[in-house]
Amino acid sequence: MPSAPTNPLVSDRFIDFLLFEVLDLEGLLALPDFAEHTRETVGIYLGTARRLARELLFPAYKPMDEAPPRLENGRVRVHRAMHDIYPRLVELGVLSATRPPEAYGQRLPLTVASLATSYLMAANLSAYGYLGLTTGAARLLESFGSDELKERFMGPLYRGEWTGTMALTEPQAGSSLSDVETRATPTAEGHYLVKGSKIFISGGDHDLTENIVHLTLARIDGAPPGIKGISLFAIPKNRPERGGLVPNDVEVAGVIHKIGWRGLPSLALNFGEAGDCHGYLVGEPHRGISYMFQMMNEARLMIGMNGAATASVAFHESLEYAKTRPQGRRLGDKDPRAPQIPIIEHADVRRMLLRQKAITWGSLALLGLAARLSDLAEHAREEASRARAAMLLDLLTPIAKSFPAERGFESNTLAVQVLGGYGYTSEYLPEAWLRDQKLNSIHEGTTGIQSLDLLGRKVPAAGGAAFGALLEEIAATCDGARDAGVNPDLVQRVEGAAMAMRQITLHLGSLGAQGDVRGMLLHSADYLDLASTMVIGWTWLRLAAAAQKNRADRPQDHDFYEGITSAAQYWIRTELPRVGYLAQLCRSGEDSYDRVRPEWF
Amino acid sequence: MKILVALKRVADPDNANKVKIPASGEKIDTTGLEWKPNPFDEYALEAALRLTENGTQPKVRAGEVVVVTFGPKETETTLRAALATGADRAIRVDASDDKLDGDLVARALKALVEKEKPDVVLMGKQAVDGDSNQVGQILAELLDWPMATFAATIREEAGALLVGREVDGGVSTLRVKLPAVVTVDLRIVAPTSVYSTKTPSTHKYNDGVRFAALPAIMAAKKKPLVEVKLADLAPDQALKVSYHGFAAPPARKAGIKVKDVSELVSKLKNEAKVL
Repeated sequence: MPSAPTNPLVSDRFIDFLLFEVLDLEGLLALPDFAEHTRETVGIYLGTARRLARELLFPAYKPMDEAPPRLENGRVRVHRAMHDIYPRLVELGVLSATRPPEAYGQRLPLTVASLATSYLMAANLSAYGYLGLTTGAARLLESFGSDELKERFMGPLYRGEWTGTMALTEPQAGSSLSDVETRATPTAEGHYLVKGSKIFISGGDHDLTENIVHLTLARIDGAPPGIKGISLFAIPKNRPERGGLVPNDVEVAGVIHKIGWRGLPSLALNFGEAGDCHGYLVGEPHRGISYMFQMMNEARLMIGMNGAATASVAFHESLEYAKTRPQGRRLGDKDPRAPQIPIIEHADVRRMLLRQKAITWGSLALLGLAARLSDLAEHAREEASRARAAMLLDLLTPIAKSFPAERGFESNTLAVQVLGGYGYTSEYLPEAWLRDQKLNSIHEGTTGIQSLDLLGRKVPAAGGAAFGALLEEIAATCDGARDAGVNPDLVQRVEGAAMAMRQITLHLGSLGAQGDVRGMLLHSADYLDLASTMVIGWTWLRLAAAAQKNRADRPQDHDFYEGITSAAQYWIRTELPRVGYLAQLCRSGEDSYDRVRPEWF
Repeated sequence: MKILVALKRVADPDNANKVKIPASGEKIDTTGLEWKPNPFDEYALEAALRLTENGTQPKVRAGEVVVVTFGPKETETTLRAALATGADRAIRVDASDDKLDGDLVARALKALVEKEKPDVVLMGKQAVDGDSNQVGQILAELLDWPMATFAATIREEAGALLVGREVDGGVSTLRVKLPAVVTVDLRIVAPTSVYSTKTPSTHKYNDGVRFAALPAIMAAKKKPLVEVKLADLAPDQALKVSYHGFAAPPARKAGIKVKDVSELVSKLKNEAKVL
């Protein structure tokens, strides 16, 4: 009998707080496109996701981490637990939850879908990975594929009969996709013959479904060099032919051994070794990269949510441990006969827990906010609201992707730390989550790429319009927090940090405008840190304002609201001051790593 | 086969520390509690669904499952969730939690059974809030139907159910003729616990209860859910059970160390009085 583990994975009360007290889900559900949904349907769906996560996915997490997929006779066999999990996740409806009925979906707001998914990711991120990738592949076909391609490939993907992958990376072309070399030769029959090698293809082979569709970047013969000569293809492992499926010359070249996400195979694949790999062009020739970019926000938010979820599950594990592990006595208590106290009674342990909470819940809240912007960008009534939401979402995406991964990693190290010596043993789970988390700052655009995306592309876009909108949002939150009765010192600190961010952004923007790209981007990593610290501070102020507003009506939730206020105070008082320092650093032109030559190392 | 399943919602047993008793001790304060279906009733629903299908094709229903609960408007969420997992219809008997007891619920269910005419009434062996373990038995008596309590396995036969009950020292198997009342225990949701005549005996279910998938949640909005007045089912609403007081269990005291075995024996005998 599956029994509920003591680790809740993600706090139910906090997710309900986000949905109903912070993100105004009722307002979203009032939009015409979401008319089918009610608070009740959302509640039942969340209940199912929580239950599946706790009863089915979480118990399989450790076994899947310990026994990664194996390559046998050229094919990959995954953990047998996945054979139970996969069909039930398909049945739950996660693959197409947010899609319209014509794409097999129920048009659930992404705000709900992504927060529900956080439980699945926290329980077993590899298990969810197979489905997340499949949705991504199906989305590309839904947006850019011809009706024939949709019929052939999108349907089976959304129905979960087949799975999908993103086959972008090649050994020589990782972050630099313009160097993709896989070739596609047109044929008279309309398909292309594809030849090339891909690497780090997650879910690239397995024995869960009879077929896999690789959404692959390749160059059509004679295409222009660089980014403008890359096209997108659907390449099935087995191609539909003569009413059945025949092998499509896609071979597994090797399994990659990873430190984390071990339940999901990452592969090297060879296409067309025998000259018989059929690829089907998605959309127009040479537009592959731009198609990918249009899907990038969602993919990056998904990785951000993986980061938040992986930090969350470790936070709860270490919290439970700290409450029950007796060790030592209170400072000043010299009586050796006095019983030992649980380690949570030590202030430094509470510091580590509150820091984890500030990072983890701050990340979940930011991702919830980003999902809400995505819903509004697509479904708001007025064009102006849609445009503003889209603009803000673009700006916040690199932060929502990288903060949960980078600071989530720090949070995961704190969870290990709280467990002390047990923390660094594989008998306990936190070390596994630490390993998992590291991948999130690398895949789907490294943190370095995110920093360049933020400062080089998103901030200056449209004359800084999105950045201006963010400052307006922060100011509105500050006003709201003040009205709600939040401690004025916290509000002032957020206002002060926002001012510092504004000034350094104007300064760096002017460098860029003068053509000094190097000067503008030299400290892009520090700028990303600054903007992320600021945005999370803003998010916590928002949470604190909502808590302040509702606490009188819900005296039974006193502890929960105190917990929100404490974490907000912690982040705003102890982390937000770094914004000023980071702004100085960005302005300073400090050039140690710019000047240093490779041979000096 | 037509099955009536009685479902009760209970305060979330995983958050039992939220249950508060006011100083007067006259009732339980239910404000701010989170509610969940009584787990044993969820198992009864799962058993009902298994009895009304071929387990290899669970999307094709073969029979009817009607769920009923007693409570205020917000208990409809419990019913809606049951509809989303496969029940066909739902009935909410409008009632207030603190104006019900096992006897009244059983009398109202009897009236409902006479109207609905199910072949089987299924419910959990007890609710995890009051642990009264009464309704199924009283209902069977009132209806004068055969009854099997604490069912761990059910196998459908022509016109009867073969029910396995785990008892001290083994399994007692009863054949109950239909119509009948059956209350279920934990193991009824194990993979090979319940077989309808349509499900092949080689079929294995997923362990546990089935869940509400998103498409089914949306489809459940269109399934009928009706409200019935308690007075229409049970004109006499007098309670047979009255509660005289509530108190939290005493907080656990710190242990002590005894010097030797004789002190231990003495304390067990004279203080704990267990010897």
